[in-house]
Amino acid sequence: MARRTCIFFISLFLLAETVAVSQDTVTVPLHVRAGFDISGPVMKLVTKDLISYGVAASADINSSIAATAGVRYSSYRSSDVLYDFMSRGFSFTAGADYNFIKANVSHGRYSAGIGLRYGLSFYREEAPMLRYTNEWGAGETSVPAESHTGHFMEITPGVRAELFRGVTIGWNLYMRLLLSAGAGKDLKPVWMPGYGPGTSGMTTGAEYYVSISIPYRKIKVYIKPKVRETEEEETEVTNTGSGTGTGLSGFTNRL
Amino acid sequence: MKRLSVIIYIAVIPSLVMVIPSCSVQPCYEETDPVLHTVLLVSGTGEAAKADSLRVYTYRETDTLRFINLKGVSSFSVPLDPASDESEFLITLNGITDTALIRYSRKPHLVSPECGYTIISELTGLKTTHNIIDTLIIENKFVNLDGQKNLHLFY
Repeated sequence: MARRTCIFFISLFLLAETVAVSQDTVTVPLHVRAGFDISGPVMKLVTKDLISYGVAASADINSSIAATAGVRYSSYRSSDVLYDFMSRGFSFTAGADYNFIKANVSHGRYSAGIGLRYGLSFYREEAPMLRYTNEWGAGETSVPAESHTGHFMEITPGVRAELFRGVTIGWNLYMRLLLSAGAGKDLKPVWMPGYGPGTSGMTTGAEYYVSISIPYRKIKVYIKPKVRETEEEETEVTNTGSGTGTGLSGFTNRL
Repeated sequence: MKRLSVIIYIAVIPSLVMVIPSCSVQPCYEETDPVLHTVLLVSGTGEAAKADSLRVYTYRETDTLRFINLKGVSSFSVPLDPASDESEFLITLNGITDTALIRYSRKPHLVSPECGYTIISELTGLKTTHNIIDTLIIENKFVNLDGQKNLHLFY
C-alpha cells in the first residue's frame, strides 16, 4: 500500500511538471494607449462653471505595470453674491498604474488596479470682484490676476477593458492630496485646475476614459502554477489510484 | 469578461454620484469677520483690569458708529475699516475719553468657497491720546480669523 502511494506521488510530480511546462507561460501583448476623458464634457452639461478637458497616455512596462502621463486643461468661473472668481490653466500628471489581474486572465486587454501619480498645475487665478460687509459698512475690492504653480498627489483605483480591438474604455476614481496650492495661505484658489478646490486638502471624483490602444511588443509571462490545485489533484488521483489499482493508469487518464 | 464590463458600467453611477454633489451650493458656517482684540490691563502691575464702563465708537461724516457700550468688561473686540488703511476709535473708559488711531495694511483672504473672501489686516502702527490710557501696545500685529489678542491697553 505504501509503495503504491509512493508511485502515485511520483506520478503527480510528473503531472505537475507537465502541466507547468504547458501552461506556466502566456504571451501577452504590451500596449501604448492614448485616451480622452469624457467626464469633462459630461460635467460641463451638469455645471457650466467648469470646463475640463483631459487626455492621458500610458505604456505597459510589463504585464502588471504601466507608465502613465496626462495633460488637462481646466477653466473655472463662478459668480455669486459674495465674489466672482476665475481660474484657468494646465495640469500635468505622471506616474504608474498597477494591474491586479494576472496576465493569463487579462491577456493585456483588461485591467483592474490602482495608480499613483504626481501632479503639477500651472494656473492663473483672479477674483475680479469680491464683496465684504462688516460694521463699517459694505464694500467691494478685487484680487488681481496672478500665476501660480500647485503640486498634488493622485491615487486612482480603476478598471479598464477592451471594448473592441484597438479601443478600450475605463473609469477610475481619484483621490487627490494637495501638497501645495502655490498661492500662499490667504489666496488659496477656489478651484485649482487639475486638482479641484484649493481650500481642501483632499478631493475625490471620477474620470471616464475612451482610449486607442496599440500593441507594440509581445512578452512571455511566467505564471506560477497553483500549488493548491495540484494538492487537490493529488488527493483525487490518490483516491482514484487506490480504487483502480495502479497509479500509472491514473496518470495516463489525465494525459 | 462580461463581468468586467458590468463592473465598468455599474461603477459609472457611483462615480457620478460622487462628482455631482461637489457641484451643489453649500452654506457658510465659518467666522468671516476679523476683529481687533484688545485686553485691558492695570498700568504698572500688568494685571487684568475690569473697567466699570466702556464705550468704543467712531465719528464719520454722516453718522456715529457705536461698537461697544458695556459695563464691567476686561477686553473688547472691534472691526477695522476694510475700506481704509487706518481706523480711528474713541474709547471712553470709566467716563474718560481717549482717541486711538490704528494704522494697518490690508489684504483679501479666502475663508472658503462657500463663505467667500474677507479682508485681513496687519497692524503697522498706532497713536493714542493719554487722558486715561497710559499705554496701548501691539501684542500681535495680525488681525485675522485666529482670534488671538492684538492690543494691550494699560490704564
